[in-house]
Parts: sequence; C-alpha cells; structure tokens
Amino acid sequence: MRSRHFLSGLTALASILFLLSDQGLAQTPKRGGTLRVSYGNEIANLDFHTAPGYEMMWVAMNVGCGLVNITPDGKFVGDAAESWQVTPDGLLYTFKLRKNVLFHDGTPVDAAAVKFSIDRLMDPATKSGMRPFYEAVHSVEVLDPLAVQIRLKQPYAFMLHMLAAYRTGLVLYSPTATQKYTLQDRQQGKPGAVVGCGPFKLIEWVKGSHLVMDRFDKYFQPGLPLLDRVMIRVIKDPVTEMAAFKAGEIDFIASFSPEHVDTLKAQNPKAQIMTGKETTPMLAAMKVTVPKDGKPMSKERAPHPIFGDLRVRKAVGCYGLDRQEIVKIAFKGQATPWVGMNPPGTLDTVDVNHLCPYDPTKAKALLAEAGYGPAKPLTFEVMADTEKSVFNIIATVIKEQMARIGVTANIRVLDKVSWMNTTLQDGPWDMYVEDLLSLITLDSNGYLSNSTSSWSHPRHNDPKVDEYYARYARELDPAKRKVIAKELVEFMADKMYWNNVSGSPFFMVAQPSMKGYVYNAEFQVHFHKVWLDK
Amino acid sequence: MSIYILRRLLGIVPTVLMITLVVFVMMRSVPGDPVVALLGDAYTEEDAIKARVAYGLDKPILVQYVIWLGRLVQGDWGTSVLSGRPVLKDVLVRLPVTLELIVLSMAVALAIAIPAAIIGAVKQNTWPDYTATTVAMIGVSIPEFFVGVLLLLAFSFGLGGLLPSSGWVYLPGTCPSMVCGVSLWGNMQHVLMPAIALGIGRAAILTRLLRTSMLEVIRTEYVTTARAKGVSERRIVLKHALKNALIPTVTVMGLQVGFLIGGAIVVETLFAMPGLGTFGIDAIFARDYQQVQGFALVTALAFVVINLLVDLTYTFLDPRIRYA
Repeated sequence: MRSRHFLSGLTALASILFLLSDQGLAQTPKRGGTLRVSYGNEIANLDFHTAPGYEMMWVAMNVGCGLVNITPDGKFVGDAAESWQVTPDGLLYTFKLRKNVLFHDGTPVDAAAVKFSIDRLMDPATKSGMRPFYEAVHSVEVLDPLAVQIRLKQPYAFMLHMLAAYRTGLVLYSPTATQKYTLQDRQQGKPGAVVGCGPFKLIEWVKGSHLVMDRFDKYFQPGLPLLDRVMIRVIKDPVTEMAAFKAGEIDFIASFSPEHVDTLKAQNPKAQIMTGKETTPMLAAMKVTVPKDGKPMSKERAPHPIFGDLRVRKAVGCYGLDRQEIVKIAFKGQATPWVGMNPPGTLDTVDVNHLCPYDPTKAKALLAEAGYGPAKPLTFEVMADTEKSVFNIIATVIKEQMARIGVTANIRVLDKVSWMNTTLQDGPWDMYVEDLLSLITLDSNGYLSNSTSSWSHPRHNDPKVDEYYARYARELDPAKRKVIAKELVEFMADKMYWNNVSGSPFFMVAQPSMKGYVYNAEFQVHFHKVWLDK
Repeated sequence: MSIYILRRLLGIVPTVLMITLVVFVMMRSVPGDPVVALLGDAYTEEDAIKARVAYGLDKPILVQYVIWLGRLVQGDWGTSVLSGRPVLKDVLVRLPVTLELIVLSMAVALAIAIPAAIIGAVKQNTWPDYTATTVAMIGVSIPEFFVGVLLLLAFSFGLGGLLPSSGWVYLPGTCPSMVCGVSLWGNMQHVLMPAIALGIGRAAILTRLLRTSMLEVIRTEYVTTARAKGVSERRIVLKHALKNALIPTVTVMGLQVGFLIGGAIVVETLFAMPGLGTFGIDAIFARDYQQVQGFALVTALAFVVINLLVDLTYTFLDPRIRYA
C-alpha cells in the first residue's frame, strides 16, 4: 500500500517536473525571431496572379490573404471571409467579410476588393493560370461593403477548394496598389507594388539572393503572426542544403528531395521530416495523337505512330511497367506505386492498380497483336528533364523494363524549358517522365487532362473525358461524385490517356526549434502560427 | 603608351560586339523561349504569340540584335522577360560577389603556385619538387565542384560547421539591397571555401607553368652573373628570377580569368552565392534572353579589360617592353 502511494507520488512529481521543464514550457508560443527558409528553385516573379511555380505560391500564401483556407483534414476555415453561405442549388456563394482586414497599404479588404481581384483573374488579358478554374463563375456582385456574392453559371462542387487551394488559391489584390503600379513593378517585387492582406508584408526580393517578409502588425488575427521576419534563400544543391541545415543556417526546407531523406534523417535525427500521402502524380505519359497536317497544335489530329494504338499503350504503360520496382529503385521505396490518375492523397482517389498488374507476357502478346516482335521491334523515346534527378532514374528503369519485353526505349534528356517547349507546343515526343502538379482534388487535374487543354500533353481528343470532368464538377452529392470519380479514373487507365507510375512524394524539413507549422503538402504553406523555440 | 591604351580600348568594341552577337544568335538557336516559362500553366498558343510580339521576339534575330544594341548604347540593358527586373540593376547587384570570388581565388592560386613553383625550380628533381609537381597534377585533374563538395563536407558538415555552407555576407559598405548580412569576418568565412575550390585548379596550372619558366630563367647568364657577383640566393630567386619568370605566367593568368568565370558558375551554384555565375546559369536555363545578353556582355568586358591590364603589366615586369 505504501509503495503504491510512493509510486503515485513519484508519477505526480515527474509530471510536475515535466511541465516545468523546457519541453513542457516550450509549448507556449514565443514571439519574435527570423525564420530562415530554403527554396530549391528560384522564384519566377512576384505577380501572384500570373507567375508560375510553387516558390512564388508559397510567398503569395503568406503575403496575400483570400476568402477561405483549407485544413489538412479538408475543412474550410475563413480567411478574410468571416462566414459564407451557399444556396442549395449551388449557384450562389455569399461571403461575409471580417470588419478589420486591411491590405498592407492600409486600404480595407472589402467586397469591392474581392470583386476587383476575381474580375482581374477572370479577365483573359491578365493571363492568369487560375482563369480556367473560374470557368463556372458568371459574375461577382458587391452586396454591401462587407458582403460579396459569386454567381455561378452552373453548380461547381469544388468552388471552395478552388478559392482555398488551387495553385495559390484566391489571392486578394489591393485595387489601389494594383492600379497605381504596373505589372512589371509587381513582377519585380518593387516595394509598394506587391500589396496583400496576409500576415507578412513583402520587404524585399533580390532575385538570386533572398526574399524578406516582415510581420504585418495590423494583421486581422490578433497576436499573429508570431515571427518578426521570414527570410527565404535559394539553395539549389541538395548537398549544400543539407550542410546548411545541419549547421543550423536554415530552419526550414520548403521542398526536400526524396532521394536524400534517409541521409538527412541519419545526420539529423532530431529534424522534423514532414510528409503525407502523395498528391502529385509521377507520370510516364504517352502521346496519343499528333497533328494531321504536321502543324503543331493543329485541331486536325492523327493517331501517334506508336502510342496512337491502345494495344501498344497498354503493353508499354500498363502491363510492361513494374511500378513496384520503379518505386524501389527511384524513390527508395518512399512512394506508392499508383496507376490511377489522382494519387493516394487526392480527394476521391481510386486505387485501380489491379487494372495494370505487371505482366510481361501479356505485354508481349499485345505487342505481337499490334504487329511488333523480333521481326519488327518496337523502339520509342523516353524524354526526361533535368529539373529532378528522379525523372532520369525512372526513365532508366523504364528502359530496362522495356528491354525485358523486347522493346527499345531510348532516353532523351532535356532542360526544363526545352521540355516545356516540346510538350506545350505539341512537339515530337513519345513518352515523358515528369510529375506535373499537386492535386488537391481530381477536378484540379481537368486542365491537365481534358481534350481541349494546352497542358494535356498526350493530346487525346476523347470528349468523353471532358464529359466525365463536367459531370464530376457539377455533382453536389459527394457520394455520387465518388462514383463518377471512379468511372473517370478507370476510364483514363483503361484508355491509358494518363499513365501514372506512382505518387511523387513531397517532403518538408524543419529544425526541432521550429514550432506551430501545420503540414498541408504543397497546398497551404502558412507561417503565421510558426514560432521559434530558441 | 596612352595611344596604345586608346587603341586597345577601341579594339575592345568589336570584340565585345562579336561575342554578344554570337551569344545572341546561339541563345535563339537553342530550343525553347522565355515565353513558355513566363506563361507557365496559363500557356496558350494565342497568348504565346501575343507575348512574343510584345517582347519583340517575333522579329528576325538580327533585327532583335540591332534593337538590343540601340538600347544598350542608351544605357538600357533590357528587362528580364521572366522577372520584369532591369538587367543592369541585377548585374550590378551580383557583380561585386563574383569579382571578389575571382580576385580571391586568383590570390589563393598565386599563394599556392608561387612558393610551390619556386621550391620546384630551386630544388629540381628532389622530393619537394616531386611533391609540388604531383600536387599540381592532382589539382589540375580535380574539377571545381568536386573540391567544393569535399570542402563542404569537411568544413560545413564536419568540424561542427566551422565554415558556412552557403549564402553571402557583404563587405562593409557594399550591401546592394535593404537587407544584407554585412561583416568583414562573415564575408571572409563565406568566401573562403568557394575561393579555394575555384583557386586550387588555377594554382595547379600556374605552378607547373611558373616552375618551368623559373627553371629557364635561373639557367640564364644574368642569373649566373648575379651569383658570381655574390648576390644572395634569396635575392636572385625573388628579385631577378621570379620577376622575369612571371611574364608568361601573367599572360596565362589573364586567360585564366575566362576559366574563373566559367568555374564561378559551378562554385556559386554549389555554395548558393548570389553572384553573376548563378545569374548567368539561371538565365540560360530560363531562356531569359535579356539576362543572358547582360551576362555575356559583362563577362566579355571583364575578359578583354583584364587582358588589357595584363598586357600593361608587362611593362612593369620587364622595363624593356614598350608600347607605342
């Protein structure tokens, strides 16, 4: 009995000591300090509505604010919007704005600013990459200074997802600053030109050197942000990045190469390595059609000489690829072999791996049926670009796997711009290895895979795909949507219009002293609750 | 002398024009253009055509070159298609970093090469000579990035992060932006590894060249005369032999500047330095024509001006050389 009392006393004492210890007290957020962030790629420019690249988007998410944000478990939370209502037919979205939200130039974030920003994004002259996602929007109306209504042409089930997390999500622009400064001023990050309503204001961007954001003292969330400053530097070489991290020169690596994760773990056992289910597809895309008249982008299409034949696409992309082996070699097992168009971390994901089991015998039989064999061997080209070394590794494994079914795959390595030039401009290619874009929903992949998009590189011309996407986006019942998603993904796999190898894993790395960061893949990179326990 | 300098300065103009023209034509012959990167996922063929017209990329290459040249004469180096930033401004921000790297890497090279070459020449066919020659051979054979990675692993990964792995701290009074790290000590810490990585290969070349040159000079009659007159060996080597042996070395040093600029691209990328090297390589990969032209112009200018300075140095090293 006495010993039991002694033990409970000891436990209580240990609990008190723990709470008083650094570990216990460390959970109280501290204000101040500079978060030093490393990017692996340069920011293209700072016009949030038009610039490409995640590096810009992660700045936009902190300098800018929007109407809503999304949490890792898929819940929507208000940003500049305090609340919102959607009519049962899904055609009217009414947002009530918070009273105290200001742009960094001191002007208020009101309904007019929301209308201005959405109208700007929808204007073809803006050339925003977000424009395709606003296709369903009919108009934006100012109801009163703090109420704005978005009217849709047809129901769009992913309206809130789009506003929160498609690319940058909706980033509100100050009408005053936007009209005062030119596009070029914003692109180059001229002081005063890049004005948002987010927790940090842009202080300086010196291309090739650094980007600095400081706390916006009039940010609408009381007490936030906690950091004084965020300083972003570009370190392209992963070895240098690891050395800088180990030496404590940087606190946060915004995107870390999967192939170096094990090394980093071994060298920094206390590092916080953040990842989740893959949301980016790793493709071995095959070109389905080519211009009939030989003129790139022509609407008159003919089947691709090799992959225009579904039997060959299936032999090569479906049964001829050993996805398990690719993942084991290229990602050291840190990815999921995946056939379906939307990776495992995407909403309404469907596992259709059973449709494409590795079956070299079946692959050879299909090739023979298509007229290929020892007498007429199949040779094609696999294109990889130099942006990530893993593309090359995957291309090499594919080459090896193709040899097993009697096919010769020649590898062509290009730099990123040449790759973009070839794929975007309907140039000559057979297969490429790339990971394109993180997908928060299957809907967000529409502009990469429907029959009319310039980014649908395989250039299939099957309107059935567009119909599936349209039905999916308009269906307001989540259960019915899931059914359509399954049909669409199975259809894409069956026709091999979209050929995934696996998910493409995404890693972020933080020092143990970085606290309060909520990992939400590439979609939401917010530093407003981050603090440094130093 | 002043006429010679003027003539040489005028000679720079066609050289630089030729270099920029070649770069201009070559860049536009490479597949891809900046419009693709600029439009990104908003790319449509119609927008691409409009953007090319807006940036004058639809015009014939030579017309584009003439337009670029016309603006250059007025002090306008153009604007980056991708970032919208004035090229001259970016070049001026980055130039001091690369200049410091090049000057210090040459200093590292000379600090290694001169003593190694002297020892090699004075103690010919002894173990110090063999050691210097062997080390020089190894130095020539190892690429800059490999030396850089080894230094990084040794001094940043290992040894408790003795030296910073990346980034830049400016010398007092040279900060080109609002937010900079500024400190003499910090600057030295940041430049040391890149300068060694870049300088070590040059040291090897200069050692071999200077040693050969020294061997020739110490066998000349005037050196024998100096010895006969009782001049100390130290004075003979440092004052009489070294100065004369330096002439071919200085010529090669001038030519090495080109290699240093090339090496700076690799070293700056490895150590994430905000210099001209990273500026140039990023511009090439993005097909940012205006930036590539700016990079080509400044490197061509640096190369020809340094070689002019090298030629002028001859008159100091050998008073018999006179330029008319």
